[in-house]
Amino acid sequence: MKLMVHFPVLTIILFFTSAFVFPLTGKWSKKSKYNLALISSAIPLILSLLMAFYVSNKGGFSYYVGNWVAPWGIEIKADCLSVYMASVITLLGMLVIMFTRHISPSDVEEDQIHTYYSLMLLLFGSMLGITFTWDLFNLFVFMEINSIVACAVVSIKDKRDAIEGALKYLLLSSLGSGCILIATALIYAITGNLNFSFIHRELLNIVKDYPLNILVSLSLFVVGFGVKAALVPLHVWLPDAHSSAPSPSSAVLSGLVLKVYVIGIIKVMFFVYGTAIIKELPILKLLNISASLSIILGSVIAMVQKDIKKMLAYSSIAQIGYIFLGIGLFNETSLRGALFHILSHSITKANLFLAAGNIIKKTGIREINDLKGLGSKMPVTLFAFTVSSLSMVGLPLLSGFHSKWLLGLGSLRAGQSLSLTILLVSSLLNAGYYLPIVISAFFKETSLNLREETLITKGIEKFVLITLSFMVLFFGLFPGVPMYFVTKAATLLLGN
Amino acid sequence: MYFYKALLNNYYYFTAVILFVIGFYTLLSNTNLIKKIIGLNIMDTAIFLLFISIGYVKSGSAPIIDLANKQAVYVNPLPSALILTGIVVAVSVTAYALALTIKLYEHYGSIDLDIIFEMRRQVIK
Repeated sequence: MKLMVHFPVLTIILFFTSAFVFPLTGKWSKKSKYNLALISSAIPLILSLLMAFYVSNKGGFSYYVGNWVAPWGIEIKADCLSVYMASVITLLGMLVIMFTRHISPSDVEEDQIHTYYSLMLLLFGSMLGITFTWDLFNLFVFMEINSIVACAVVSIKDKRDAIEGALKYLLLSSLGSGCILIATALIYAITGNLNFSFIHRELLNIVKDYPLNILVSLSLFVVGFGVKAALVPLHVWLPDAHSSAPSPSSAVLSGLVLKVYVIGIIKVMFFVYGTAIIKELPILKLLNISASLSIILGSVIAMVQKDIKKMLAYSSIAQIGYIFLGIGLFNETSLRGALFHILSHSITKANLFLAAGNIIKKTGIREINDLKGLGSKMPVTLFAFTVSSLSMVGLPLLSGFHSKWLLGLGSLRAGQSLSLTILLVSSLLNAGYYLPIVISAFFKETSLNLREETLITKGIEKFVLITLSFMVLFFGLFPGVPMYFVTKAATLLLGN
Repeated sequence: MYFYKALLNNYYYFTAVILFVIGFYTLLSNTNLIKKIIGLNIMDTAIFLLFISIGYVKSGSAPIIDLANKQAVYVNPLPSALILTGIVVAVSVTAYALALTIKLYEHYGSIDLDIIFEMRRQVIK
C-alpha cells in the first residue's frame, strides 16, 4: 500500500522522463530506440494494471504532490474511473508503440524517429495526467501539453496536408483551451478553490447566489472540451488532422486523445458541479442534441468519403457522439454504455487505423474503391479490419455490441425513444460504409498489379493487429472486468 | 442605474470580456494565419487579465507577510502564479503555430487560408 500510493504520479513521471531522454538518443540504432520506447511504455502499463487490481479490491486513494494537503497542494486521485482509463491508455499506448517498429519513412523520416517516440510518450504522459488529476488548473496544464503534442505528432509528417491539418487543429484546440481557462477563472472567482472536491462543496453552498456564473462557466467548459473531443458543430478540425497524420498517430489521436477529453468533461461535470447542479441546467439537453447530430452527420459524411482514412476519421466523430449521448441521457445504464464505449471504440478504431495504415504503407492505396481483392493478398490486415468493422456495426459477440446495447437500454430508461431510433439508424449507416469495404476486399478480384514481396506484413505488426482483434472479440464475449469498473465508476459519478 | 454601478465597479471584467470577444472574432473570421495567431494571443491576454483581476485586492501589497503591521492586506498570489504558467503555455503555442505557418508558407507560398484552400481544390481536380 505504501508504495502503491505513488503509482499514479509515477506512471506520469515515467512517461515524461523517458520522453525527455529520447532527444539524446539521436545516434542510436532504430532497434534500440524502439526497445527503449517499448520498455518505457510497458512499465506504466504494469503499474496501471496493478493499480486497477488494487482499486478494485480496496477502493480509490489520493496522492498529494509534494505532501501538500488538498486545498493548497495538487491532489492526484486514483478511483475506478481513472484507473480504468489509465489502463486503456497504457495498454493501447504500448501496442501502438510496438506497431511503430516498422514505421514507413514516408510517415516519419528515419532521423526523426527518436523525436517521434519522445512526442508519443509525452502524449501518453499528459493523457494520464488528465485522467488522474483532481485539480482544475493542473487539468489545464496537462491539457495544453496534450494539445501541443497531439498537433506535433501530426505535423511530424512533413507533407503539406499534415502541416495544414496540424495548424487547424492547433488553432481550434487553443480556442478550446481558452474557453476552459476562462471557465476556470469564473469558477475560481466564486469559490476560491481549484481542487475538485473543495469547489464542489463551495458550489453547493452558493448555487443560489451565482446562477449566471455557474451556467456560463459550465457552458464554456462544454464548448472547450467539445472542441477538443470533436462534438459536432465543433468538429471541423478532426477529419484533416486525423487523416493526414502518420497511421500510429491517427490510431492514438482517434483512439485515445478524443476519449481523454471526454473523461475531462465527465470529471468536470460530475465531480466539480455534481448531479444536483447539472440537472437544473439545460446543458444535458444541449449535449443530447449535439451528440445526436454527431452520430448522424458523422456517419452520413463518412459514407460519401473516398479516402479510407478520411472515412475512419468521420466515423470517429459519430462514435464520439455515442459517448456524449450516454452522458446526455444521464442515467446509470447510459453512463455505463458511454464508459464502456470508450474502451470498445479505442481498441476498435486503433485497430482500424493501424490496419488501414498497413494497407497504405504496403500498397500505397488510399482510395476505398481500390481495396477490392486485397483480402487474399493481406489476410491478417484485412481480418483485423473485418473484425473491427463488425464491432463498429455492433454485431453481438463483439465489444461494440455491449456499448450500443447499454446505450439503447439507457435511452429507453430515460424515456428518449428518439435517441434509440438514432442509435439504430446509425448502426445501419455504419454497416453501410464498413461492410462494402469488407465484402469487396474478400469477394472481388483486384485490378491492380501488386508485387507479392512488398505486401508482407512483419511479425510484430501481425502480432499487434491480431492482439487488438482478439481484444475486440474477448471484451465482446467476456465484458466482465471492464464492466465491473464501468459500473462502479457510473455509481461514483451519479452519487456525487 | 444598478447596471452602470456594477459596470463601473467591475470595469476590468468587462474589459477582459471585450478583449476576449475581439480575440475570438479575429481568430475565427480572419483568413490570414498571422492575424489568426494574433487573435489567439489577444484572447489569451484577456483571460490573463481576468484571472489577475480576480486576485487583486484594493491597496493590497505583495504577499510577503509583514509581522509588524497586523492590519496589512495582501494581493492573492495564486492567480498570478497560475497565470505565469498560462503565459508560458501561450508563448509555446504561439511559437509552434508560427513555426507551422512558416512550413505552410514553404509548401504553398502563401499564408492566406483562402488562397491555400483554392490551391488544394485545384490539386484535387
